[in-house]
Amino acid sequence: MLARILAAASCGVVLCCLANPALAEGTPAGTVIENTATLSFELDGNPATITSNTTSITVVELIDLAVTLQSPQTLVSAGDTNQALLFSVVNTGNGTETFQLAINSTVSGDDFDPVPSTVSIYFDSDGSGDFTAGDIPYVPGDNDPVLAPDASVAILILNDIPADRLNGDVGFSELIVSSATGSGSPGDDFAGQGDGGVTAVLGTSGGIDTVRGEYLVSDVQVSIQKSQTVSDPFGGNEPVPGATITYTIEVSVTGSGTAVGGIVEDVIPTFTTYVPGSLTLDAGTLTDAADADAGELNTSTTPTIVVRLGDVTATGSPRTVQFDVLID
Amino acid sequence: MSENQKGKTMISRVTALLLLLASGIAMSQGTLEVQTTVQKEAVTTNEDGERIKELIPAETVVPGERVVYTITFRNTGEEPADDVIITNPISEELTYVQGSAFGPGMELQFSVDGQSFGAAEDLTVEEDGETRTATPEDYTHIRWVMQSDLSAGAQGTVRFSAQLN
Repeated sequence: MLARILAAASCGVVLCCLANPALAEGTPAGTVIENTATLSFELDGNPATITSNTTSITVVELIDLAVTLQSPQTLVSAGDTNQALLFSVVNTGNGTETFQLAINSTVSGDDFDPVPSTVSIYFDSDGSGDFTAGDIPYVPGDNDPVLAPDASVAILILNDIPADRLNGDVGFSELIVSSATGSGSPGDDFAGQGDGGVTAVLGTSGGIDTVRGEYLVSDVQVSIQKSQTVSDPFGGNEPVPGATITYTIEVSVTGSGTAVGGIVEDVIPTFTTYVPGSLTLDAGTLTDAADADAGELNTSTTPTIVVRLGDVTATGSPRTVQFDVLID
Repeated sequence: MSENQKGKTMISRVTALLLLLASGIAMSQGTLEVQTTVQKEAVTTNEDGERIKELIPAETVVPGERVVYTITFRNTGEEPADDVIITNPISEELTYVQGSAFGPGMELQFSVDGQSFGAAEDLTVEEDGETRTATPEDYTHIRWVMQSDLSAGAQGTVRFSAQLN
């Protein structure tokens, strides 16, 4: 009835079977788009308007999804357990869809096969991006994620790393996400299985997406040691007001791996004042300003020395940071 | 007229009447008729393995798919009709495909509000306090203004494509 009234008004009417508003990923499944053309003219000076028949097309459900890896290459040690890779699963179709999750760690092209942990798929329930106690395990057929159009869910897959792996070994593991309605070739359809009983059609994903994450075995240990020397204004080593304390921070790396992106931060102690221009890295002077060099004095909160070491290996070790403070 | 010809004429009249009854959708007032169809492109492979695009009736559509609206009109009367204008809405779920409008002897116009119509380059919309030229996403209506009379017995066709958002 609504259709007839609206059609009589000769507008393109949209009857939405769902409560969903128009979505970024497309017109919701079940939407009916009607069209009526209008012809106006004059005959013997008399204006008239007539309308055409009304055509109707129904938007069917497009099943599509996109899985993306959120973790960078994940550094692990041989023998580690429950090592997580984080993925995001987005329903890029136009209907509400149930998705099934699976893990595959026997992927070719790597150095070793990670071993799926006893429980190997979790929802990142607390949104931490890592595996934590609050995360809920995925149970196939029991808590398959149901996603509205555009909605997403964060998934963790967990693997154990065999104890015999060597530094530098890479292992792949995949998350496989498929539509519960079905998967196959783009364009395959499932009559009556879309939202509201419309046809469901597989989009470019074919209703399934497999994305790979990567573990890198990194055999590396980092140690840091701090020492101090005091020189007072009188030629001695007494920590009196006016005396200078020279702090030395030594970062050592052992093992065959690489410590990636190391940063040394050290807060200037209370009752002391940093000596401007005294910061050095491996005996080379660093300016106090935040600029292109590796270090600075960060004064935005508590004055803090910050030195970015970058990637450190055993052969490039130790790295030595030094700076002076004056006792107030 | 031979008996045979009479028979043919009779049959064709009956057929025409039946067609009109069967379709039941061609509306007319006085002496003009207008009818619309919606189709979409389908790609098939022929026996030589060539991929062929053809238009098939559109009943269902998925986001991203294009549909073609064809509007045919006819003056079935004895007198010419003046000021013939065909107007078709563009549903908010659809976006006009730039350059797809077809209508020989017609001036093509668009609207962004269904009230005022103009050439595509003359239409503007307000956005964030600024005025900009309208884009196909903004069009709510398309219309064709016939540049001549529609003489008795004449018919015409206009067409455009739209993509489902």
